[in-house]
Amino acid sequence: MPEFNLKIRRYLPESGEAPYWQEYRVELDGHQSVLEGILKVRADQDGTLGIRCSCRAAICGSCGVKINGKPRLACNTHLEFAAGHSPEDGTIVVEPMGNMPVVKDLIVDMEAVHWKKIRRVSPWLLPEGEPPEREYVVPHEAMVDVTQSMACIQCGACVSDCLSMEVDPLFIGPAALAKSYRFVGDPRDGQHYERLKDVAEDPHGIYDCTHCFNCIDACPKGVAPMSQIMRLRRAAGSHGIEDRNNGHRHEAAFVENIERNGLLHEADLLPDSYGGKLHPRALPELMSSLPAITKALARGKVTPQKALLHPHRRHYHQVRKLIQAVESKEEPLELNLYITGYEEDVEATEHEAGETAAMREDVQEDAKNVASGPQKEPRQ
Amino acid sequence: MPSHDVLIIGAGLAGQRAALAAAEAGATVAIVSKVHPVRSHSNAAAGGINAALNPEDTWESHAFDTVKGSDYLADQDAIEIMCRAAPDEIIQLEHLGVTFHRDETGHLGTRAFGGASQARTYYVADITGQALLHVLYEQLLKYHEQIDRYEEWFVTSLLQDDAGECTGAMARDVRDGAIEAFRAKAVIQASGGAGQAYKPTTNALICTGDGIAQAYRIGAPVMDMEMVQYHPTTLVENGFLITEGARGEGAQLFNSGGERFMERYAPNKLELASRDVVSRAEQTEINEGRGLDNGGLALDITLVPRKRILEALREIVNIGRDFAGVDITKDPISIRPGQHYIMGGIRTDNLGRTPVAGLYAAGECACVSVHGGNRLGANSLLDTLIFGRRAGEDAATRASGLPMPDGNLNSRITDEQAWIDSIISRDGNGRRVAQLKEELGEAMNQYCAVFRDADGLDACLQTIRRLQEQAESVGIDDSGTVFNQDVLGVIELGYMLDCAEAMVVSGVKRTESRGAHFRTDHPERNDDEWLKHINVTRTEDGTPEISYSPVTITRWQPEERKY
Amino acid sequence: MKVAYWPGCVSRGFTPELHGAMAKVAPLLDLELIELDRAACCGAGVIAEHNQELADTLNARTFALAQQTDGALMMNICSTCQGSMSECQERLDASTDYREQINDNLRGEALRYERGVVNKNLAWLLVEDMGLDELRSRVKRPLENLKVGPFYGCYLVRPTDRLGINDRRPRDTYLHLIIETLGGTVIDYAGQYKCCGFPIITMNKEASLKQAGRHLGDAIEADADCLVTPCPLCHLNLDLQQPLAERVVGRDLGMPVLHLPQLLGLALGLQPRELGMSKHVVKPTSVIDWSQAVVAEAA
Repeated sequence: MPEFNLKIRRYLPESGEAPYWQEYRVELDGHQSVLEGILKVRADQDGTLGIRCSCRAAICGSCGVKINGKPRLACNTHLEFAAGHSPEDGTIVVEPMGNMPVVKDLIVDMEAVHWKKIRRVSPWLLPEGEPPEREYVVPHEAMVDVTQSMACIQCGACVSDCLSMEVDPLFIGPAALAKSYRFVGDPRDGQHYERLKDVAEDPHGIYDCTHCFNCIDACPKGVAPMSQIMRLRRAAGSHGIEDRNNGHRHEAAFVENIERNGLLHEADLLPDSYGGKLHPRALPELMSSLPAITKALARGKVTPQKALLHPHRRHYHQVRKLIQAVESKEEPLELNLYITGYEEDVEATEHEAGETAAMREDVQEDAKNVASGPQKEPRQ
Repeated sequence: MPSHDVLIIGAGLAGQRAALAAAEAGATVAIVSKVHPVRSHSNAAAGGINAALNPEDTWESHAFDTVKGSDYLADQDAIEIMCRAAPDEIIQLEHLGVTFHRDETGHLGTRAFGGASQARTYYVADITGQALLHVLYEQLLKYHEQIDRYEEWFVTSLLQDDAGECTGAMARDVRDGAIEAFRAKAVIQASGGAGQAYKPTTNALICTGDGIAQAYRIGAPVMDMEMVQYHPTTLVENGFLITEGARGEGAQLFNSGGERFMERYAPNKLELASRDVVSRAEQTEINEGRGLDNGGLALDITLVPRKRILEALREIVNIGRDFAGVDITKDPISIRPGQHYIMGGIRTDNLGRTPVAGLYAAGECACVSVHGGNRLGANSLLDTLIFGRRAGEDAATRASGLPMPDGNLNSRITDEQAWIDSIISRDGNGRRVAQLKEELGEAMNQYCAVFRDADGLDACLQTIRRLQEQAESVGIDDSGTVFNQDVLGVIELGYMLDCAEAMVVSGVKRTESRGAHFRTDHPERNDDEWLKHINVTRTEDGTPEISYSPVTITRWQPEERKY
Repeated sequence: MKVAYWPGCVSRGFTPELHGAMAKVAPLLDLELIELDRAACCGAGVIAEHNQELADTLNARTFALAQQTDGALMMNICSTCQGSMSECQERLDASTDYREQINDNLRGEALRYERGVVNKNLAWLLVEDMGLDELRSRVKRPLENLKVGPFYGCYLVRPTDRLGINDRRPRDTYLHLIIETLGGTVIDYAGQYKCCGFPIITMNKEASLKQAGRHLGDAIEADADCLVTPCPLCHLNLDLQQPLAERVVGRDLGMPVLHLPQLLGLALGLQPRELGMSKHVVKPTSVIDWSQAVVAEAA
């Protein structure tokens, strides 16, 4: 049996010592998990090593840790894989998750961060009026859609890796916002508007997400928290919620900017995001950007002429027509790949396609069997 | 010192459901769990929950299937209660937010499950237990003013007053090692099963029979403990569960010769016969040399349309990929029978009351008995909810008529602390906890498994007795207070050994074959002698004592069982 | 090699030096650029969060324009374009029904997107289509003694599945490979795969600038001479906003940030000024010094 080297971040709060690294060697099959490796260390060598774990099968969410710097479940990360992706020559580096205080060794304080944020979004169904005698009758697709966020096992991997939370600890964060979408996307909930207003108005809410995709890659269950946050933004917009954080205005200004110019005209975007150059909110924001703007002007990066005229706009009347046509649709299309899956198309997978088709897991079914087709989401 | 009307130990489905019911009935509630509630093993119940909710279905049909599944050992009055209450419970959970699968008309949809004469299993993809557990936890958060949560508190023993009534529990705060006495007018044990006494098992590492042993140690009888379910489809590699939902959706079993062998064992229900029947068929195939080279059999899920797999069996796509390296949409996966569930547990009546006044039990740690000799798939979630609720309601009723138990518990706290300190300061006997646990698990899986006989069970019992002795002096490494998982491991080992002992002594006694208990030396069912429950009670000197109680039969007389 | 070339918006707006540098570098790499001058903004993820159909339509249109050319593939020089376009392409390629509905929107211009456009960022094209050996053979002035920190940002490296990043195509290491191939020294530092902060600059300026400031600080700590980024939006936050980031993190930074074509240009023999570096807010002193030293040595 191969031998693996585990390098584990230790912290024993009662020792009075700072965190340190400790290495252990274990003999196990390569397809056994990092958790099994750690449990073997605990069983045979060192019973003081702390890690939360229970199901061993990636359903209880206990064993979130960082392996080789990336948040993962220890139970579904193979030793072989971890050793093969080691930054330290085959040594598997295991640390506690980030963005949360460490309690002991690989155990972090989920309560102080993760659960507090979950409770922040009123995480329970709030239906309106009396329930029906039997079940609520709701579309099949809506239940599949919210089951994506229901699949969250609260392991904290996304919280661990959230880059917004790293600079703004008050950010509600990916797990809690995915939980919020679980209700906003649920037709049985009666508080969609209130929920959306709440997470849009909070300066650390949906518009505080920096769109870095870390949570999507971190999630072991395919919840794609960032995609749920984007759905919340879309829903907030379609409910006409104007947040104080310029989030919605920025979005609107962006679309308008492209409609006007075809290409982005940055000089207009900034003031428009604050409500227009003459908006009272715009002035202080623009003033605070002044040092950057003056420098840019001085270095010739931005010329006053370009800033005013945007020389590229002339080709784009076609684009304008197109944008107006799609924007005026009552129910723009929304394709949810979690519901529809991918078509299977052997020929196309042979395309190189920037490898998007070929490298994707082949989770596609015959085109004709894709029953539900594109999703339509009503916009109010 | 925390004092509550109702103290609930364990925060899986049974415990959380009990907490909500007790709070709704006006009681003050504490729920204590050694792990965070959403880590509970109810998560693992993938396939669904049974209820005769369709207009063309009847509770009688559900009840009969359950009686037959139990091999007539279950109590029919309890089954009747469960099956009658099931439809309302599903609707109530749906109203609380469970994202149950909908059919194309937007109504609740079902899937087929083993041992059932109708498709009556309601589900959320293959994460039904997880969905239920998380939705109930949402409700605990919602009702935080009525329900105090003690997350990551490990119960070390139950409290009893001079009259023998249960008045609370002692627990250690896992985060800082502090011992606390919890007073209560009623205590509900809802701490789950004991699968970790086996190796391998589908059960989580936390399933160490804590509540069963704690109740047993204060004199509560445990019942039907010989009835241990082996699930037909667990991964050959490591014993992880592949949901029965896979067969419900159309997956089939094949032996090394490519034969669909269930045709020989259960010509009508085939792969969807009850679990004991399918597991026995598999073990026979393996024992008679028709297994695969890796010791298993082939489960072919590729027969299920791919789109359906990806929507309804997402989780086992992951399990196949992560834990067996198999893409189940393309290739068969190797499975074998593996320990999954214990039908037995703390004996209760239909309100969850144990013979010890003030002590209730619900869920896998309890034995009402609705599962008898073999539990049907998708009846365990139902059991937790129905009897969790009933226990919660009755505990609240009991509490409303009682004063808070008094008496000074400081010396009790000191004693408990001293006991734990003594474990920490042991020199040890040269063996490690993990070694003892492994030896236990292997012995149980060898002798107290799908097929059993007197010699094997005797050998197993001797092993258990020796391990019990060694466990008394086994040493540990960790002397800290913060998350000292080492010391908790010693206490858990003691719990598992108690449970294993009860399973084996009951198994020795039952000299017939019924449900999951198949004695190769007594291969026939014997209703004349054994249509009765075996109870095990702990005597003063710690040895188990056997007694019997009748099976309640209401309308379904025992008959031959065929699938 | 002939490619349909999508420069994006910002390379022709606030970072004109990027577009200029690409134009200078292309002939030195024998890249023939067929500029998609009718194409519109990719939406940068913002349009998709507003109206998914609109984002998918605009990008289907760009893909269709690319497919009309005789380029071997489509190339972009902006991570954000790559990421946003890949997201739309994933949907467009997943469902024939959906693609046809989007194509309906394009009918007015007689455009049509066929499944499977190959759209690659310059960095991907260099490694996968040109090849590092070929690139090496074209280097005139190896970047010896130049310590370069790669700043990948987000859109070019995540989500890994969608972007086709795996062991066979470790696209999240390509900047490392390119820097090495050009003869430079790679400097690893904490922030190289993190977000520059740009997407929240109008919503939470403090957090946005803190991100930029920290990564720049990390690179200084790691002793980098300069950073290189494949994303003009990252460049805005790391360079244009650097004076503001300095105030937020409370330290002097002064870290030059190069666009990928600028770094290529240096190795291919071009001067910093020709590559538009004088337009940067942070004067790339260390790069100019390096360049002068190399020239002096040669003389």
